[in-house]
Amino acid sequence: MKLAVRSVLAVLVLAIALSILLISCSGPQYLSFPLDPSGRSLNSPYAELSPKAVSQYLVFVSDRAGSQDVYVYHLNERKLLDLPELNSLDMTVADPDISRDGRYIVFAGNRQGKSDIYLYDRHLYKLRSLTSSLSAEVRNPSISADGDTIAFESNAQGQWDIFIYTRAGDPLDISTNPR
Amino acid sequence: MGLILFTFLISCQQNTALACSDSLNSLNSLHTEEQPALSGDGQFIAYVSNRNGTRGILLFDLKDQKFIDLPRLNRPDAIAENPSISNTARYIVYVASDRGRADIQLYDRVTEQVQVLTAGYRGWVRHPSISPDGRYITFETGSNGQWDIEVIDRGTIELDVL
Repeated sequence: MKLAVRSVLAVLVLAIALSILLISCSGPQYLSFPLDPSGRSLNSPYAELSPKAVSQYLVFVSDRAGSQDVYVYHLNERKLLDLPELNSLDMTVADPDISRDGRYIVFAGNRQGKSDIYLYDRHLYKLRSLTSSLSAEVRNPSISADGDTIAFESNAQGQWDIFIYTRAGDPLDISTNPR
Repeated sequence: MGLILFTFLISCQQNTALACSDSLNSLNSLHTEEQPALSGDGQFIAYVSNRNGTRGILLFDLKDQKFIDLPRLNRPDAIAENPSISNTARYIVYVASDRGRADIQLYDRVTEQVQVLTAGYRGWVRHPSISPDGRYITFETGSNGQWDIEVIDRGTIELDVL
């Protein structure tokens, strides 16, 4: 008799615990990424800036290695990905974005006082500037998740305007300015 | 006197010409446009514009070349900045400062409702971003005395899948 009551109670407690767990899982919740002093995780004792999560890839900027560099953190595998040939000593970077498949990364880079929007191909380890023909300040790039379109700001017209390029680096064939 | 009237008329005409080109349905205006964010396939772009005498978030359809209404997003008593959009631009996250501090807000174009994501959050927040499927929202937090990254998982309900 006592055993039966006990088992009913145990089942009840389990059911309540499960439903609480389910309710807490369905709403928005903060994922925990504690500071990792080794610099191999998302947050470090240094600055982490401009995060963007696209599918499983979280791209951001950190100065953990002494200069502002681009990092990609894999949310499921909980580790940083290798980005060979991306970060260099003579360039400061800002505002990265990444495509859904994790292949293309765009960011604003400044080298010897000249700002450009750079595209990095994570399959070919190739970095190239999309705006070398544009003699104006550029900043704040965004890449569509399919990796085909890149938008950024430029002051080529004397004020900040939106420019839209294809991944090949050509202006998109639409009118973006007032006639 | 006639000359003064004449110059006045001329300057008025110039002003209306400026106003006209401003109200044109184009992505850029003669004012500042900044902080662009593209949707999943690049059809939509959200950004901040200073046109029409206010600073606010605009959503532009690049395929159909027209603006899309965002009822209740921009408010006269707050500045909304730093937009980020999901695959079909259903969700827009941005920073709005309407209660003396910056909050990360989530706008749903289907329900036209705004949800404050950082109500009661300790520390300064900035630079929010939403993943294309709408599941993750990331932002910078100052609650550890330096800029760190916070990640919100909204779960897999009501995702914005293509």
